[in-house]
Amino acid sequence: MNKPVENIAVPHEEEPLVQGGLGFKAITDKITGVIDVKTPKVWYLAFGAALSLLMVLLGSIGYLIWEGVGVWGLNNPVGWGWAIINFVWWVGIGHAGTLISAILFLLRQRWRTSINRFAEAMTLFAVSCALIFPGIHVGRIWIAYYMFPLPNQMSMWPNFRSPLLWDVFAVGTYFTASLLFWYTGLIPDLATLRDRAINKTKKIIFGLLSLGWRGGNRQWRHYELAYLILAGISTPLVLSVHSVVSTDFAVSIIPGWHTTIFPPYFVAGAIFSGFAMVMTLSVIARKIFHLENLITLNHLEKINKIMLLTGMMVGYAYATEFFIAWYSGNMYEQFTFINRAFGNYAWAYWIMISCNVLVPQLFWIKKLRRTVPVMFIASILINVGMWFERFVIVVTSLSRDFLPANWDYYAPSIWDILTFIGSFGLFFTLFLLFIRLLPMISMSEVKGVLPEADPHHNSGGGHE
Amino acid sequence: MSDLKKKYWRSLGERNKSPEYRKQLLKEHRTEHSHDPNKFSRRSFLTIMGASMAMAGLAGCRRPVEKIVPFVKQSEEVIPGVPLYFASTMPFGTSSFGIIVESHEGRPTKIEGNPKHPTSLGASNLFMQASILNLYDPDRSESAINNGTRKKTDDFTTYWSELYEQAKSDDGKKMAVLSESFASPTLFRLKNEFEKTFPNALWATYEPIANENRKKAILNLTGKELNPIFDYIKAEIIVSFDDDFLQSGENSLSEARSFGQRRQIDSPESKLNRLYVLESGYSITGASADHRLRIRSGDIDQFILALAKELKQRGLNLGVLGDRSTVQFDKNWISAIADDLMNNIGKSIITAGLHQSQEVHEAVLAINNALGNIGETITFVEPRDTAYSSLDSLKNLTDQISLGQIDTLIIIGGNPIYNAPADFGFVALLKKVKNSIHFSEYFDETSDKCHWHIPRSHFLESWGDARSNDGTLSVIQPLIAPLFDSLSDVEFYSLMSSGRLVIGYDIVRNTWSKIIIQNFEKGWTRVLHDGLYKDSDMTKYIPKININRLNLPAISTATKVMSDNLEIVFRQSLLYDGRYANNGWLHELANPITKLVWDNAAVMSIKTAQKYKLENGDMIMIKADGHEIKSPVWIIPGYADYSIGLSLGYGRKNIGRVANNVGVNVYPLRKSTTMQVVTDINISRTGEKYEMSNTQDHNRMEGRAIYREASLNEYRDNPKFAEEMVEHPPLKSIFPDYDYSKGYQWGMTIDLNACIGCGICTIACQSENNIPIIGKKQVGNGREMHWMRNDRYFTGSEENPDLVIMPVTCQHCENAPCEQVCPVAATSHDTEGLNVMTYNRCIGTRYCSNNCPYKVRKFNFFNYTKDLPEMVKMSQNPDVTIRSRGVMEKCTFCLQRITRAKKAARKEERRVSDNDFMTACQQACPTGAIKFGNIINPNSVVSAAKKIDRNYALLAELNVRPRNTYLARIRNFNEKLATKKEKSEKH
Repeated sequence: MNKPVENIAVPHEEEPLVQGGLGFKAITDKITGVIDVKTPKVWYLAFGAALSLLMVLLGSIGYLIWEGVGVWGLNNPVGWGWAIINFVWWVGIGHAGTLISAILFLLRQRWRTSINRFAEAMTLFAVSCALIFPGIHVGRIWIAYYMFPLPNQMSMWPNFRSPLLWDVFAVGTYFTASLLFWYTGLIPDLATLRDRAINKTKKIIFGLLSLGWRGGNRQWRHYELAYLILAGISTPLVLSVHSVVSTDFAVSIIPGWHTTIFPPYFVAGAIFSGFAMVMTLSVIARKIFHLENLITLNHLEKINKIMLLTGMMVGYAYATEFFIAWYSGNMYEQFTFINRAFGNYAWAYWIMISCNVLVPQLFWIKKLRRTVPVMFIASILINVGMWFERFVIVVTSLSRDFLPANWDYYAPSIWDILTFIGSFGLFFTLFLLFIRLLPMISMSEVKGVLPEADPHHNSGGGHE
Repeated sequence: MSDLKKKYWRSLGERNKSPEYRKQLLKEHRTEHSHDPNKFSRRSFLTIMGASMAMAGLAGCRRPVEKIVPFVKQSEEVIPGVPLYFASTMPFGTSSFGIIVESHEGRPTKIEGNPKHPTSLGASNLFMQASILNLYDPDRSESAINNGTRKKTDDFTTYWSELYEQAKSDDGKKMAVLSESFASPTLFRLKNEFEKTFPNALWATYEPIANENRKKAILNLTGKELNPIFDYIKAEIIVSFDDDFLQSGENSLSEARSFGQRRQIDSPESKLNRLYVLESGYSITGASADHRLRIRSGDIDQFILALAKELKQRGLNLGVLGDRSTVQFDKNWISAIADDLMNNIGKSIITAGLHQSQEVHEAVLAINNALGNIGETITFVEPRDTAYSSLDSLKNLTDQISLGQIDTLIIIGGNPIYNAPADFGFVALLKKVKNSIHFSEYFDETSDKCHWHIPRSHFLESWGDARSNDGTLSVIQPLIAPLFDSLSDVEFYSLMSSGRLVIGYDIVRNTWSKIIIQNFEKGWTRVLHDGLYKDSDMTKYIPKININRLNLPAISTATKVMSDNLEIVFRQSLLYDGRYANNGWLHELANPITKLVWDNAAVMSIKTAQKYKLENGDMIMIKADGHEIKSPVWIIPGYADYSIGLSLGYGRKNIGRVANNVGVNVYPLRKSTTMQVVTDINISRTGEKYEMSNTQDHNRMEGRAIYREASLNEYRDNPKFAEEMVEHPPLKSIFPDYDYSKGYQWGMTIDLNACIGCGICTIACQSENNIPIIGKKQVGNGREMHWMRNDRYFTGSEENPDLVIMPVTCQHCENAPCEQVCPVAATSHDTEGLNVMTYNRCIGTRYCSNNCPYKVRKFNFFNYTKDLPEMVKMSQNPDVTIRSRGVMEKCTFCLQRITRAKKAARKEERRVSDNDFMTACQQACPTGAIKFGNIINPNSVVSAAKKIDRNYALLAELNVRPRNTYLARIRNFNEKLATKKEKSEKH
């Protein structure tokens, strides 16, 4: 470490977070501009496509409820299939939003401001998609409410030992907290929209939603405190939700599921896939809405660094699983892992390894880290890989467990596939509505990271 | 069923039109009433189990009119909800099984063996269990049909009485009867009466599956027709030549019982019998063997000659039989068997299967005689009241028909169009007969070609009687009035012989008035109550074997014996000869060896398949003497090379929704000269692939200690070997243990040494617990619903492995992994250690099934019972809930039976004991391998079984603490052959 001291980076010597010399007004114009303009044709096209997919989802669910879970490819050893894989995958994707808005907020990572709004929206929509699956995958959906601890004349409570019940609470809490956090963050921007609204309906709606925000000093003080508290509440959720989801597997006795590494491994994977999804979406959004100055290459590079880190954590977890399987001396565990890599689902395993472990390695190279097409493709591959990770976990363990007589191959039916594709319909429908109706970048927060919002010199920090 | 009527009217009414027209009709006919099992939609499948709406009116409680009701368990009156039990008899070929039928408000729902009856001894076989479903089969024939038109039975009676009078004038000169084989005093009496009325009439008896060669051999060597009775309890050494005595044959049930009894050993000091099996296919008898040699059926005669030579060298007096061997077989094998036999004079059994020739059976009888087994382990009874199947009589009949000598042919039961030898050309012959009458349960292939079809009652609907193989007499009493306009066997026979319709009850009583001479009414009631006639003449007959009359097997050469010429061996299937083809339970029970459901296949060894470059599911064309069939291939290692097994009974057309077009009809390859084995055949690949469904994909245990076994010596060295096979850390739970030391604590053991893997437990369970049939496609999807299944594993070498079968049901873990993960607590533990399911509470997350290491939980992926027809609903057990869609289900240890026994015991202020009840699987098990009861009662059978040192818990290392445990298999190896020490995968 014989580098000269003066080369140590200080925050203000970083590239500016907002580029192109945008000022307060320009930012407001730019962001609300997306909403104010006449709805572009391309939006209608996209919305039409998303809505069609949503119909596919609703149709598949309808058929499923009409006929029974048998329309899926499930069988006796493999009682969970695509539905649970999709659930875990979508919940995982949600994680980036909360991480960006809560943890990075607490860590004063100011670059988060330009992506946190839609990352949070993405969280909400992803969790919405996720919540569908545990709901519809049960055999008798009409009594799925037995899962909730509702007082009843039989004093019949749910089984608090079951991780599925923990899931209900964990994901429910997560969705609620994320919604509140997102909404709280929106309040100043909703007020901006109210003030700029030119028609009455918008004025009333935004007026109601902005809860009488005037931008007064007291309001700001309360607001920031509330936001900080919510960030504090959300932070443990980032870790807890996927940890709890992982217990769906870890608490069981099935080889390949019954492992203590799952909580951290799942959280890392969730952040990994969540950031990949943020990347995919932001690359598209900045291109279409010309937000290159707000979501800069700098931001994208930071996302890539996080993907590189979490990707390696996931890869480490894969390796650890193998090591522990060998080290445990448990023949069922050993078989399961050898079977994953070389058994009849080896193809899925190697897709997972390639996408999740090998692809992120590209980001060691700064040039690739800053090349948009590379990161776009990589982000998609990572999400494919993360889907396969869940596939490998869910299916390989179940399809070959303790007694070889029970082993069976699982293959999805057309309805599994359509339901999954359809869930993208829900996601994108909600997302397109969001970018049409609400500011997709937090104006108030972006303004807060402009140099003029912080009129101090290099002594760092502001005053209290 | 209006469309059915239309069909018959069309096909038979227009029968004289051009061939093209008929062909077209046939095509239409087929599409109308048949299903391609591959194309079942779920919905169409649901209709399979059942009936048409027209049946709905018939459902209900129907009581027989006649005076019956001598209860097995005395009850003052019928109490709704409390089942009654009646003794009856199930006739089966020339034997019969004593049964106890459970009846709910006049509706029989379950068949069990009658413990007092020597042929069943309380156990049952597949056909007994499955009969209940046949009773309620809505595809059974509903009414008489004359040339395609529905008629009343009275119409037939009128028609017949005219014919009767006509025929009487010439003593029935142009009349012939083709009957099934039977053993029944009443039927035999009526047959005699018929022959008296029509002295010139011809009577033929034919069964597609019959051990005629053995009968002929016994006749030749003893001069008498005799039934052999094998006493496996006394036998120390058993050598089976191609004889699947544990599952095939009329005596298999009692033989399996006594064999199983000898395999249940308490300690390393117990004496264990030794079973050698030499067979071409892989039977469950072969799987139960201590030593098994695969050998083509056609080569067995030479092996016996070689054995005879070896025995003669050891001083056994076998005459010329010992001098004829020219072929060298495995010397170790021959001398090992010979030594064992010589060391156990009078304590062995040598048996040959029905695939073997008369010469082989004679040789076997001669060797048994020389070994002193006759009169010891093998005794005989003189058959009475019996009509045996005789191919010669059928041949005679067909000759007479082709000579134009027969005008009237009455076919009683049977289905000759489908299953008569192909060279007889029965279809063409039947056209030559002016009046053909077919009496059968289904409007089948033969009915279709006869002028009259008369529906036949199920044995649960009829009066009748039977004599079983060992001479026991019993009465068949109806449990329900006939569901259709049908006649019982005795009524039909009586109609044939007297020209009048008489009520079956009177006919049977008439016969019995001569059997029970004194105090008839009392004796009759006693017989009905007991299910058998205690004073039946069962005198054992020890014949003298005249060795000079031996027909010796032809001498063969080594090149012929060791060649790669193909042979085909026809075997009875789970559908027997096809008569159970419309029974969904039997279709869905996986074949114990191939694990195939809803199909039969050409089964062959790995080497055979390699030679012809065949894989599982490849369609092949099999040609034999001008006839050909197409069949899919299924490879089972351990089959004799170049021997192909074909199962009879599949490929039915137009008899019912379940049976139609399932599998391949192999009868066209079967000729009168090649009834059992065809040697001159040709197979070729068609290039087609055929999808088959099986219940087990993986055949190896992967080195896991699942099915645990050892040789007798290993067992003696370490009696606790089974338990010690798996090492594991101390087992501790994070949850506090529940106190299971009070009240009743239910538990089970399954003795793998006694279990023969027949699969009856599965069907008994299905019958008791209303388990749905789901069809080939759903089984193919891996969704079979059986609560009790039989896992099959191969161990040892690739080409010639051992095959082991292990029944697995819910193990009722005390520390059950399923219970912990259910979010709604739908599966939980009761205080008696049962892992119980609350169906109402279950929302169907399937987590319990995922977390079950045994995967015994079965999920209702669809509403399998929604479209169940009224008629089939009648077969369901009202004590067991019908599960809805989206609900998990599994073995309950027959909770309904436990509860009933507890209630009864509480009323009498006593504790439930072993004698109060059995689980359905336990009760049906022919070998008594399953024990069940209160494990904290030190005197219960199950506690005793759990104390045996072979006891082990499957997957105990998971700390699930199963209540069901297994007793390890012990193989009684002959030291000289024990070189195959590679035995199984080492653990």
